[in-house]
This record gives sequence, structure tokens and C-alpha cells, in this order.
Amino acid sequence: MIEIQDLTFIYKDEKKPALQDIRLTIPEGGFLGVIGPAGAGKTTLARAVSGMIPHHYTGDYYGSVTVNGMDTVETSLEDISRLVGMVFQDVDSQIISPVVEDELLYGLENFGIPREEIPQRIDEALQKVGIADLRERAVGSLSGGQRQKVAIASIIALRPRILVLDEPTGELDPRSSRQVFSLLKELNEEQRITVIIIEQKIMLLCEFARQLAVLSEGKIVRQGDTRDVLAHAEELEALGVNCPRVTTLSRAVSVKTGEEQPVCLNLDEAEAMVRRLIS
Amino acid sequence: MHNLFQYVPGNSIIHRMNPITKIFLTIVICIAAFVSGNLLFLAGLLAVDLLIGFIAGIPEKTLTIFKGLLKIAIFLFVLQILLVRGGTPVFWIITDEGLLTAARVVLRLVIVCMPLALVLAVTRVTDLTNSLVQVLHVPYKYAFTLSTAIRFIPQFLEEMSGIMEAQTARGVAFDKAKGLKKFSMILPLCAPLLISSVRKTDLTAAAAEVRGFRLRTRQSGYKRYPFTILDLGAAAFCLLLLAAAILL
Repeated sequence: MIEIQDLTFIYKDEKKPALQDIRLTIPEGGFLGVIGPAGAGKTTLARAVSGMIPHHYTGDYYGSVTVNGMDTVETSLEDISRLVGMVFQDVDSQIISPVVEDELLYGLENFGIPREEIPQRIDEALQKVGIADLRERAVGSLSGGQRQKVAIASIIALRPRILVLDEPTGELDPRSSRQVFSLLKELNEEQRITVIIIEQKIMLLCEFARQLAVLSEGKIVRQGDTRDVLAHAEELEALGVNCPRVTTLSRAVSVKTGEEQPVCLNLDEAEAMVRRLIS
Repeated sequence: MHNLFQYVPGNSIIHRMNPITKIFLTIVICIAAFVSGNLLFLAGLLAVDLLIGFIAGIPEKTLTIFKGLLKIAIFLFVLQILLVRGGTPVFWIITDEGLLTAARVVLRLVIVCMPLALVLAVTRVTDLTNSLVQVLHVPYKYAFTLSTAIRFIPQFLEEMSGIMEAQTARGVAFDKAKGLKKFSMILPLCAPLLISSVRKTDLTAAAAEVRGFRLRTRQSGYKRYPFTILDLGAAAFCLLLLAAAILL
């Protein structure tokens, strides 16, 4: 479980807080989507959960972040990292090794995973992300999307209990983006891994995330179950967060008919609503 | 240029050698090139360089590196024959000693640079650093610095061409300028390159930290690097080279 209490953070040499009075609880096995305009503090939030704030990025820190009962300020970054895996937005900077296989080995070696377990973990992670054929390839020869998958695989191989992903599908095509989300769903449902994902593709978030948090100017403007948050579509759009078309549709129908319709999150729900209205 | 320092997968005997042996061989070739001034021997060393590339199964890359070095070599050669004043004149202001010195300098340059580039082509940088840490007990911090530096070369070039493209799109005619003019156009781009690189390096440091950089010990590496009969053979070859260099 992750508990963020009244977190305010100001990066060193900056005046404006990157995060302000954040209060957020993510239950174990939760699937939280974080959305908001650029500069809203999404990445800062991810860094706070993964312990990079305050251990790597320093600044003025108020409030507390507790991960499975450990206060991130008092726990060493290494101990937090055993629990929390983070996929960076800038994959080129995240990838340390020049060859795919070595990139997966790196974390496994450092965290002292038993030797006999390592090959199996690498195979599994590569397969789950669907890049088993890239194992021997030089990272420099891969496309942006492939590199993104390598970064995800290198974190999944570590089997963290909590996964924090900062726009992991930024360079992926729609099909691969969906694949990544399906993989996260599988990890979330089968192994009860907590997933926190920053994502701009709202349609995918609506479909997969159980909870949403909307950030704007360092503050959480809305949080809760995905459906409840999307019920405030006007507010989101005023912030520059586009809502999926199915949600817009259900809202438009509510306004037109004057009768409150449940918020649709995917095509199936929208279809059901339309059929019900016609009949 | 982007792939010049990139590892080429393979299973040749050069690939299978212990990384430490490869470094040793490189150093021996360098020493041999400077110990002996015999032009024939130097030419032989150059042939050894090329042969290594061919045995490793990367003839194309070897020739690309060779051709790249040749350009610098020709420039240096001309400079040397114009500058060296000793000896008897052969033609115009060119002397026999000038020609000899120039040939030596140029041969040595190519001989020394070739294996350095080849080592990176036939060895994974990770193997290089891991073996340095495991076998030679180099502190991991320094080994990591080395591997990161090598790892950043292609990224630097990528970034540079990105910045240049952005400038070209705004009307800077890099393609029309030549020589010094082009150099003076590229120079101001070093500032943005440096800034973005420093930012990236900091992120890479963070990425290493969250994956247990500080927990790593000498024994952490998954792969082990034992010396085999292959390395023994290479060592014998090294001794032979050294002996020849001293005698000739």
C-alpha cells in the first residue's frame, strides 16, 4: 500500500512547488492512472513514490510518502527499489547497457538474484514484453518503441511489488500500447502487483485503470474510481485533458435526454447504452 | 558513423577471447608499434590489425575504420613531409628523412587506432567492464564511468545530428559550408549539446541508482571470465610480436 500524506515538494533552486498538498492512497493491488497537462507534476509524483525524491532529487520536502509501511525518507533508495520498479519517460537515459540482454542483467546482478534464477527471469521478462528476438541486439540499433519495451522488460525482470511507469507508451504504436496495458493488467490481476501509470492515452487509461488521479499545477484536482472521475468531464476538459469519445457520447446523451446516463468507459458500454435508448 | 563503436555480435575466436586478453593484445600492438621503427615490421603490424578484423568476421567494418583513419593519415603525412627539414632533399622541399618520419608516424597512428576501435566492435562493453572489475579488480565506479562514456558516444552523435537538423530546418545551411566555415557553424551547437547531455547523464545516474548501482560488488556480475587455451595462444602471439618488435 502506498500512502501519500500532504506531500509538498519544491525542487532545489526552484521557487514554485512541483507538488502541493498531495494526499493519495493507493491500495495494494491497485491500478492507478495519473493524467494531467504538461508540467502538472506527474513525473515528480512518480519520483516521489519510487524514492528518487528525496534520495536523488533534493529540495524542500514536506509531508510523507509511505510504501508498504516504509517511510521513503528514512528508507534507503536501494531498499525502496527492491519494492518499487520505475520505468522512466526518457528511455534513452534509463538504458545503461549497450546490449539488450545486459540491460536486463544489470538490475538482477545488483540486487543479488541467485545465479540459477537469472536466465529464467530474463527469458520470462523478454517474452512477456514480446521482444525475445531482440535479446542479442545492440540498443543503439533499436527503434524508439523497441527501446521502450526493453526498458519495461528490464524492470519487470526485477519482479517489483509496485510498478511505476512514466508514459511508457509514448513511442509505441496503438497496438503495442495496448499490449503493454494488457501486460500490466495481467501482472496486476495475477500477481497483485500495484500499478501506477502516467499516461496521456486516456482511452487506454479508462479501459484499464481502476482509479484515476488528475493533476494540475502540482495539485490533485480529482481522484477516485475511473468512472466517478470521468463523470466530471467538463472539469477535465477545462484543464486540457481530453475525455474519450464514448464518455463524451454518454454525457451528450444525458444532456439531450435530460435523463442521467451512466458514464461509458469503453465501446461495449457505449453500444449497450445506444441499444437501450433505441429500443 | 553511428555504428562505428557498436558491438557486432558473432562467435569468432576473437569474440570468444577473454576481454582482458583483447585489451592486452591491443596494448601489445601499441607498444610494438612504438618500439620498432622498421617500416616493414610496421606494415606487418598493420596487416595483423586488418587480419584480426577479418578473423573476427567483420571485414566491412574493419575496412570502414581503416578508410576513416586513412583520411587523417594522408593529412598527417602531407604535414610531416612539409615540416621535417632534416636529411637530403628528394623533390622540391621534401627530404628523404621527411618521407621516412612521415611514413612511420602515419603507420603508427593507424596501427594504434585500429585495434582500439576493433576491441569495441568485438567485445560487449558490459563484458569489458565486468571483466575489468572481476579479473583486474578495477573499482566498479571507474569501470562504470568507462562503459557509460562509450555507451554515450552514439547517443551524443544522435543528439548532435538532431540539433543540426533542427538548425537546418530553421535555415542554417550546414550542407553548403565546408572546412573551417562549417566548423565555426557547428561550434556554437556545443552548448545545447552539453546541456542536454548533462541532463541525460543525471537521469542515467538515477536509473542506475534505482537498480542497485550502489549494491554492486566485484562478484555481482553474472558472467564469469576464465582464461582458456585461446587466451594462452593470444598471449603467446603477443610475446612473439614484442620479441619481433625489439629485434627488428
